[in-house]
Amino acid sequence: MQVRLFALSTCPYCRMTKRFLDDASVQYEMLEVDKLEDEAKNSAIAEVKEISGGASFPVVVIGEEVIVGFNKKRIKELLQL
Amino acid sequence: MSPASVRRRFPAGTGVDQLREYMAPFALRLGYRFNDDEDFVNEVLASEIEILEETGDVYCPCRVRTGDPKEDVKIVCPCIPFYADQFAKLRKCWCGLFIRTDVTDGSELHGVIEVPEGPAEVPVALAEEFPPGTLRTIRVGKREITLARVDGEFFALGNVCRHAFGPLGQGFMDGYMAVCPWHGWRYDVRDGTTDHPDADVRTYETFVREGYVFVTV
Repeated sequence: MQVRLFALSTCPYCRMTKRFLDDASVQYEMLEVDKLEDEAKNSAIAEVKEISGGASFPVVVIGEEVIVGFNKKRIKELLQL
Repeated sequence: MSPASVRRRFPAGTGVDQLREYMAPFALRLGYRFNDDEDFVNEVLASEIEILEETGDVYCPCRVRTGDPKEDVKIVCPCIPFYADQFAKLRKCWCGLFIRTDVTDGSELHGVIEVPEGPAEVPVALAEEFPPGTLRTIRVGKREITLARVDGEFFALGNVCRHAFGPLGQGFMDGYMAVCPWHGWRYDVRDGTTDHPDADVRTYETFVREGYVFVTV
């Protein structure tokens, strides 16, 4: 299942999410939105708003599911960890 | 952002302890205190210091600045007023730097949770700092509300006068009447009614608990 992580470099919960996924050896694609250049940043923000309804981080996309925040339980369920 | 456009609220070199000391009384007036997890608090504040060095102000490290000042002002820490209804139900601010003063075990709130459905009981002011016979405008999420006190009772009603859209909360009290500062339209704070036809404002339930005035939205 495809896993994507939208994160901010400054956000503690994003770091926790990243650590959790790394520790569980999950393959995922990460986008550090605040580190992107202007146009890429705006389009990433637009995408986060569209899929999550806000601009709060982290946003974890697992298949069709969108999880806002570091919700360990939900990630475990969806990835059957 | 060019250095010239930075509006500094804190001087360069501001540290974690100074931020803590500065923010605590503002959070307390909104019914929040710092999370009990010291390491976590220090981690969040260290991130805010990084952002402060870059921008001149402390923005939430878990949300993105868009470059639009009207939007970005809503994530200046503590951002509680702008999300007061959601946070009241989460019992913490978005990133968990602040938790409600009535939370006994903050660790159970770690991680970010979906906001529960239903009405929110929102702490909005310390009762002892709100003199009888006065009113003021408060922000509860997207709403602006007039909070008024008559003797020991608190009342909450819509903040926009239905005459010329004046800010009711910046007016004055005459008994149970809130008087609009612009042209003197009068609203009964008990039920939001006015003498003018079809111009009543809505009211909200209020109560006082542990020294805080709460508004239910």
